[in-house]
Amino acid sequence: MTQISPEGLHSVFYPERVAVIGITDTPERVGYNILRSILYGGFAGKVYPVHPRHEQVLGCKVYKSLDDLPEPVDMAVICLNQYATVEAVESCGCSGVKGVVCNAGGYSETGEDGDELEKRLIAAAEKYGLPIIGPNTLGIINNDANFYSTFYPMRIPAGKVSVVSQSGGVGLTIINLALDEGIGINKFIGVGNCSNLDFADCLDYLENDDSTAVIGVYMEGTRDAGRFVRTAGRVARKKPVVVYKAGRIEGADNYTQTHTGSSAGSFKLYRDILHQHGIFTVNSPSELVAACKALELLPLPGGNRVGILTHTAGPGVVMIDHLAQAGCIIPPLHEETIARVKGIIGADNPPVVLKNPLDAAGLGFSRPTYGGLAEAMLADDHVDLLLAVYCLHETWELPAAELLDAYKKYKKPLIVNFIGNWLGCRADRDFLQSAGIPLFTAPEKTAVAAAALVHYGTKKLEGGASYA
Amino acid sequence: MLDADIISLALASGRNLLFADEAGALLKAVGIPVAPCRIGAAEDEAVQAAKEIGFPVVLKVRSQAVVHKTDAGGVRLGLTDEGAVRFAYREIMDKARFLDRGARVTVQPMAPPGVELLVGMTIDPHFGRVVAFGLGGIFVEVLDDIAFRQVPLLAEDAIDMINSIKGSIILKGYRRAAPVDITALMEIILRVSRLAEEEPRIKEIDLNPVFAYPQGALAVDPRIII
Repeated sequence: MTQISPEGLHSVFYPERVAVIGITDTPERVGYNILRSILYGGFAGKVYPVHPRHEQVLGCKVYKSLDDLPEPVDMAVICLNQYATVEAVESCGCSGVKGVVCNAGGYSETGEDGDELEKRLIAAAEKYGLPIIGPNTLGIINNDANFYSTFYPMRIPAGKVSVVSQSGGVGLTIINLALDEGIGINKFIGVGNCSNLDFADCLDYLENDDSTAVIGVYMEGTRDAGRFVRTAGRVARKKPVVVYKAGRIEGADNYTQTHTGSSAGSFKLYRDILHQHGIFTVNSPSELVAACKALELLPLPGGNRVGILTHTAGPGVVMIDHLAQAGCIIPPLHEETIARVKGIIGADNPPVVLKNPLDAAGLGFSRPTYGGLAEAMLADDHVDLLLAVYCLHETWELPAAELLDAYKKYKKPLIVNFIGNWLGCRADRDFLQSAGIPLFTAPEKTAVAAAALVHYGTKKLEGGASYA
Repeated sequence: MLDADIISLALASGRNLLFADEAGALLKAVGIPVAPCRIGAAEDEAVQAAKEIGFPVVLKVRSQAVVHKTDAGGVRLGLTDEGAVRFAYREIMDKARFLDRGARVTVQPMAPPGVELLVGMTIDPHFGRVVAFGLGGIFVEVLDDIAFRQVPLLAEDAIDMINSIKGSIILKGYRRAAPVDITALMEIILRVSRLAEEEPRIKEIDLNPVFAYPQGALAVDPRIII
């Protein structure tokens, strides 16, 4: 199998002219929705729908075939059935198309005949050196060029996180979780069956994609795990890579093979060898999004010492369980910090134990007090990263402004954990996140976010990563 | 004998599993400490080897036809004198000659017991060559406490994998036991990685057990599949 060059992929993600082959005028069909997605997404280039029997769909003139197009296209989205797709790839190659997305399923995931068909698909593409996204894929999104080529029309905020996903469903889960968390997606690549474009090729491409700062990967299995981990390890020295590997149980192949034709392999080996290559791994889509969000928004901490400020003890206990496993330390506070804290809350105030986590109890309800304590902890040179917990309340406001002031003063990574829901915290979330401070509403997400920052922050100290 | 010759010879005679002495020679050549393993082609030779190695010794059948030595009555442990060696030699060879006219015995020392560990190398269908490290003996199956790394390993990978297993507490001196020689273990892991890298005809290395001591470590029953 020939390796796909990152340059070849540029035409797929940043096309000027696109053909959508197999367009129909039925709203419940893939082709219709691909066109709708491209139009709705605000693509600035030219779109040429192709179908032999339609005249017009969604206000666009439909062309009979690729040969009828007024000009050559850079890439084509093929939404035909699995058999017709193979022929379409062949004609795309002939007409100088530089890359294709093949949505149809019915290939290696279905068994021997499908596998044979996929081999023919690959052979057709490789005759012309065409990269194939898929087959068996939701498609791609490049928010950096308003190019939304999936069959789920959407418009999402732009961001610096790019996602490579083997599953459309999990991909959409990640995209929607990212929306809930208030972050954007830069590029989405649904690799599907990885026919001639594998995870490693995507990482190679994203490594040099300036609009991508963080890469999230959802993987079930790959044909060349060795190349994947080596590539991920290399890319992670330049920008953080977060991997969620599913298909973990013995016998997972039963499920992964009928999904994307891929074998899940041994999770133990994946876990150990991803660790060997310095990759941060997570255990769910929501952890993936939490880690990517923190890595996108915050600078990396200088070390692994985590301070926790709260007015309710439990969330700190939950966080520390996660943090300790990830190699974080909860350091004792500096004497000066203790003195400063006493100055803020009064020396003889009884219900507060002065240590890390710093639990201010009822005294922490006061926003100025809370802000002062956050400053005291950020000023502590034992603390590399601060996690600030505060509960949403019907009577008083969240101390978002105070936390932002403290953050600006010390420039140390700060993650805010407001205990509430998006309905109640949304304004604060947007306020803080637009200033670069991630806000979460669940302690386990805050902890994973902190662990991800510490992972890449301490890797940097060891001379591994150095992000510009 | 050169390493490459050992493998060529075994392949030429249709063997995928190296004899213990051959595996030992290959490992020794890359600096992995292995218990000595001498071939006894005749009874007197076995006795001579035992005297040179020092009692007590272990006699094992060395034959292409015998894969499961213990089941075939081909292993005699704890032989403390010349008489015991002669008797064991005859017992083993009486059975083995029927199966294989070229059968021999190997003579090895009884290694002093240490912490039983496992160092191995295998080809994973997904990752290619990987090195395994964990507690050896019966613990392998019971605890499933094994760390894996992809070849080639760096020194930090080897240390990291030693520290990552739950059993590492035992290595650092549990209760009154002295801590074992971590550097020696690291060296073995790295040399297994190097051997795997340099000799692609090796498909599997199984050092189980490796006895770890306060000073040094010793691979006792090496198996190499080519």
